Amino acid sequence: MSDKKENLVSCVVNGKSVTVSKNTSIIKAFKAAGEDIAHYCYHPGLSVAGCCRLCMVEIEGNPRTQIACNTMVAEGMKITNQSEKIKEDVQWGLDFHLLNHPLDCPICDQAGECGLQEQYMKFGQYEPEMNQNKVKKNKVVSLGEKIVLDTERCILCSRCVRFTDEVSKTHELGIFNRGDRSEVGTFNGKELNNDYALNTVDICPVGALTSKDFRFKQRVWYLKRAEAICTGCSTGCSIYLDYNDEGFFRVMPKPNENNNSYWMCDEGRDLYQHLNPKKRLVQVCPSQSINASSSEEAVQGLKTTLENITDKTKVGVLVTGQYSVEDYQAFFSSIKEKTSIEKVYHWFDQKNSENDFDDLLIRGDKNPNTKGLLSVTKDLSLNLVDSLELKNTASHLDVLIVLGPEYNKFFSTLDEKIAMFKKAGQVFYFSSVKLEALDALSNVTQIPLPSLVERGGTYINYKGLEQKVAILPKVISGILNFSEIAKVLRGEKVQLEPVFLKTQKVKDNQFNFQKK
Amino acid sequence: MKVNHNIKSYFLLSIFSGMKFTFIKMIKNLFNKKKMITLNYPEEKYSYGPRFKGNHILTVKKDGSLRCTACMLCATNCPAQCIRITADEHQDSSVEKYPISYEIDILRCVYCGFCEEACPVDAIRMGPEWQTPDTNGSQFTYDIRYLAHRSQLKGGVESSLDDHERHNWGI
Repeated sequence: MSDKKENLVSCVVNGKSVTVSKNTSIIKAFKAAGEDIAHYCYHPGLSVAGCCRLCMVEIEGNPRTQIACNTMVAEGMKITNQSEKIKEDVQWGLDFHLLNHPLDCPICDQAGECGLQEQYMKFGQYEPEMNQNKVKKNKVVSLGEKIVLDTERCILCSRCVRFTDEVSKTHELGIFNRGDRSEVGTFNGKELNNDYALNTVDICPVGALTSKDFRFKQRVWYLKRAEAICTGCSTGCSIYLDYNDEGFFRVMPKPNENNNSYWMCDEGRDLYQHLNPKKRLVQVCPSQSINASSSEEAVQGLKTTLENITDKTKVGVLVTGQYSVEDYQAFFSSIKEKTSIEKVYHWFDQKNSENDFDDLLIRGDKNPNTKGLLSVTKDLSLNLVDSLELKNTASHLDVLIVLGPEYNKFFSTLDEKIAMFKKAGQVFYFSSVKLEALDALSNVTQIPLPSLVERGGTYINYKGLEQKVAILPKVISGILNFSEIAKVLRGEKVQLEPVFLKTQKVKDNQFNFQKK
Repeated sequence: MKVNHNIKSYFLLSIFSGMKFTFIKMIKNLFNKKKMITLNYPEEKYSYGPRFKGNHILTVKKDGSLRCTACMLCATNCPAQCIRITADEHQDSSVEKYPISYEIDILRCVYCGFCEEACPVDAIRMGPEWQTPDTNGSQFTYDIRYLAHRSQLKGGVESSLDDHERHNWGI
């Protein structure tokens, strides 16, 4: 206990006293006290560079102002960033940052979430004292498939350079030239195409690095933010989903020290596309023998099919690890009531690469909830067997119920499985994502599901961390979630919620620019 | 029954005094057409001064291309939410961003001029035109072609601010 006390120091931040551990920087003490402090080059996930000079603080007894990111807290320090001296310092600092910064705000993608804009409104608003022209640099530099660089907007905080050096360890970026001609660039025209490259866009405090995918799609002030988890692999990074009533637009990592720190991989950022109607399975595609026009009627069809089967061993259930714990519980318990099945086939593609790991975030198991599936089947005393067994026995099945993959590209045995569906009697394929290869099969009924954020629920990642996904309103009308499916299978009535997505206008008057 | 003998209750008198005014005006108009204060719309049209906030205009640069950068500030500032813009990447990297569609639902517009106020690049103005009647419902959504290049604008109105000039001035 005494050991612990020795490692603690207390200080006063803007009049609030806080106790932090030794060797904590002042900026962290500010965060601990819940006080606002401006910073561009400092990032909690990267090393300290101390080059933006905006996190200035005044320490009592010290005649000079100091930067908070590289000064450590000492016992009894009295620190403030609200004095007139600091305000003047920050103003001059901003003046310096904005010397060559272009007035690009109408075009810049970062407008609305730019640190410079916010800080200028708070402390700046000075009369510029430079009468020289601004230094012009390269504007739209493509850094690879995903990122565009604008060297004029860059304030040389070096966050992106430190990211490629310290986190992704790919070392693509560097700062070249001297003085006001220095700019960020890549070595020998090498492209910034690593698996984590888009994190540099997130950490860029101005609009110098922008994502080609999100660029000019939406202004950030039109977007609302929901918390979810990425379902691209078993890491299950915490994410923010940016959306509005026109659809989902962007995925950004949510800082989570227990799991993904401040980062996420680029593959996971495609998640939002699977939530928009374009990639979704929008309506029921009935098979020849099932007559259904809505999701509810299709599930009714499944119910009557199951009731008509006398030999219960002729029913198979094939599941992927892509759904939440609550989904599995609702689905399996209702199916068990109807058929009293004892075993469930597990569609798990990543047998060989299951334990792969790239030492940062990406894991070989591409299912976000394999652990959850295992625990639910165990609780309900269902036997989870490998789907390879199904290969030979599929032709004996009268009914095969499939909880299909949400992200088809990770499932390499998709074609094999589709060939297998042909052999079974009736196939009921549940998924939120469209799988076009199934349209040709006459015995498959495709039933749409709500997407990740419309279903919500709990996901358990590779190390057993349980994470909740918030429920957002539905974007496609007339589809049942798992608890509603369970209700229909039990013969109860369901009432569906209205949808929130605006119907997109057909843009027939698009203006095409002809170069002169 | 009590009768109100107030002179105003004799409505016939009021009618005659009104008719007197009408006849005087009619006779004046018949003999002095030039001083007539009414217009024979639509043959005769009244034009307001250039500061009148009438129908919207999207200004153009010197080369005839649109000045708008699709920053969405007009759409954000619009209290009637009648502006709808879709932005896209421009082939010319010095332009970067431009609107591929710009629509104003003129039936919702309240002519407040906030779009004009919000525009940082002088891309949208409200001009002296004020006639909005039409026969077809779909005509009340003004698209990019109408806003920038309708025949009344004679090739488009030039904005006072040009990218090239700005660039040459070093700002």
